[in-house]
Amino acid sequence: MSLKSYWEQTVAFVELELRRLWHDPTEVFTRAVQPILWLTVFGTTMERLRSIPTANVDYLTFISPGVVLQSSSFIALAYGIMLVWERESGILKKLVSSPVDRFIIVLGRSLAGAVRAVTQLFIVLPVALLFGAKLKIDPASLILATFVLLLGSVGFTSLSIILAVFMKTRERFMGILQAIVMPLFFTSNALYPIEIMPAPLQAFAKVNPMTYIISSLRDTLIYGDIVSAINGLLVTLVFSSIVLHPETKYLQKIVE
Amino acid sequence: MSERKDEKYAIYVENLIKVYSGGLKALEGVSLEVNEGEIHAVVGPNGAGKTTLMRILTTQIQPTSGHARVLGYDVRSESGAVRKLISYVPQEFSVWTDITGYENLLFYSKIYGISSDKRHRIISDALELMGLSEASGRLVRTYSGGMIRRLEIAAALMVKPRVIFLDEPTIGLDPRAREVVWEKLLEYQKEYRVTVLFNTHYMDEAERYAEKVTFLNRGRVIAEGTPQELVRLLGGETLKVWIEGESERASQILSSIDGIQVLSATSNQLVILTPDSSVMLPKIVQTLSKSGIEVRSTTVSRPTLEDVFIKLTGMSIEEAEKASGLREVRAVRRAIRAGG
Repeated sequence: MSLKSYWEQTVAFVELELRRLWHDPTEVFTRAVQPILWLTVFGTTMERLRSIPTANVDYLTFISPGVVLQSSSFIALAYGIMLVWERESGILKKLVSSPVDRFIIVLGRSLAGAVRAVTQLFIVLPVALLFGAKLKIDPASLILATFVLLLGSVGFTSLSIILAVFMKTRERFMGILQAIVMPLFFTSNALYPIEIMPAPLQAFAKVNPMTYIISSLRDTLIYGDIVSAINGLLVTLVFSSIVLHPETKYLQKIVE
Repeated sequence: MSERKDEKYAIYVENLIKVYSGGLKALEGVSLEVNEGEIHAVVGPNGAGKTTLMRILTTQIQPTSGHARVLGYDVRSESGAVRKLISYVPQEFSVWTDITGYENLLFYSKIYGISSDKRHRIISDALELMGLSEASGRLVRTYSGGMIRRLEIAAALMVKPRVIFLDEPTIGLDPRAREVVWEKLLEYQKEYRVTVLFNTHYMDEAERYAEKVTFLNRGRVIAEGTPQELVRLLGGETLKVWIEGESERASQILSSIDGIQVLSATSNQLVILTPDSSVMLPKIVQTLSKSGIEVRSTTVSRPTLEDVFIKLTGMSIEEAEKASGLREVRAVRRAIRAGG
């Protein structure tokens, strides 16, 4: 197998996902409801309180990147449910008996889930701007933000697929999902700077991948600090690579 | 130099054993040979090991011991080479229902590395062959069961495999849809002489479409040959007798007649194997009426594969499924799903 065919196969999975989104874009919009509420209700109210030190930016601007990620990561983390379904159907069986490499199946599915997740950037950001968030929107920062979000979402999708291996039913999966998403969100720097958290929570925030993805998005979209943004991106890359690796092994396990 | 035996066949299986991690024995020493270009049916009740055998041959799972080759390649050590030469249609749906039929084939054509300049023509041909050209732009969700099966077969044939594996290709379809699926499949098979291995528990399907049949029961091969050879194993004719009264008692009474064998006795029908019905029929009717059992009607026919299976196992496929118990079938399914 050449590198070119690996690439083409991976892209085929992403294209498949885009076609599914095209036929039924409901999820993209329903998932955007909650983050929009965070911005328009929670964000605007807390801004009037001025109780959270957000340095030289207003509160709504401060939380916008975090809210985008919350929305994206929820889609990404829910993506594993697709794998539960594909296992119950014959799709996974057919894929593993086809010439496509098993790592490409995992990478392709993860990237596909990530693409679905990234759609949130293009829905939540305009809403934030509409409500007065002061974001730097230019082609370079948008491209960088998309890339960071995509990479982070690959990590969350992989994590989700690994969860799906262990939680064999939809009900258990959805249950555990709730128990993971909100804690990850609240122990990150999405809604407040980590410096104001109690020490144990700060320690947790520092190993929470969301913190780094949000920092990177903030550096790009608020401060225009590309160098810091790339630092965050590298941490994100490490996180996503770490979860992609065992995922391949587990895929083997689900089908065998 | 003589060719190695296991390289001569499209599929060569020798003493294959599969024990799932839960300790469940799915295959207990299966051997099988399929010639190139042959249509071969593996027939048996649910839980016989048909799906396990197919999953090993399509390199999804590994056998516990024994060996299997597809087109000369070992399914364990040369699985990559095997996967390039085969196609597989699982028993469950293997297409996405939220995109169109065409888009499904487009995805699989990319996965199988069909070059972009040929893609459109190959997909259109496959859709046309399977009678799906008109429906190709519709979401698969709107297809009937038969159409979905044909789409899956189109996906499998499109890549021009040398061996195609079909796991219960017509399960759950109505008789007309079953016929159409086979009609289209045979059309393709005739043209390309592809080797076909299919699992089924429909005896009539194996009898009509397979050139060779392997009977699998409880993880073992119990007979194999052409449908004609298998039927000849029985010899003679099958006699169906409809009676007034309990068939169990009638069956006991008839056991006194030499040379006949009651294959099955259900509510008011007896299936009897006899070497010569013209001699035996009057005798049977006479014996029954002497015991006060009235014969309503009779038919004489050539034995079917179903009769052969009954003769070999002492029960029909449905009875075999009941005997092995739903619990066991479920355990096999679970083991297959849970893996290894």
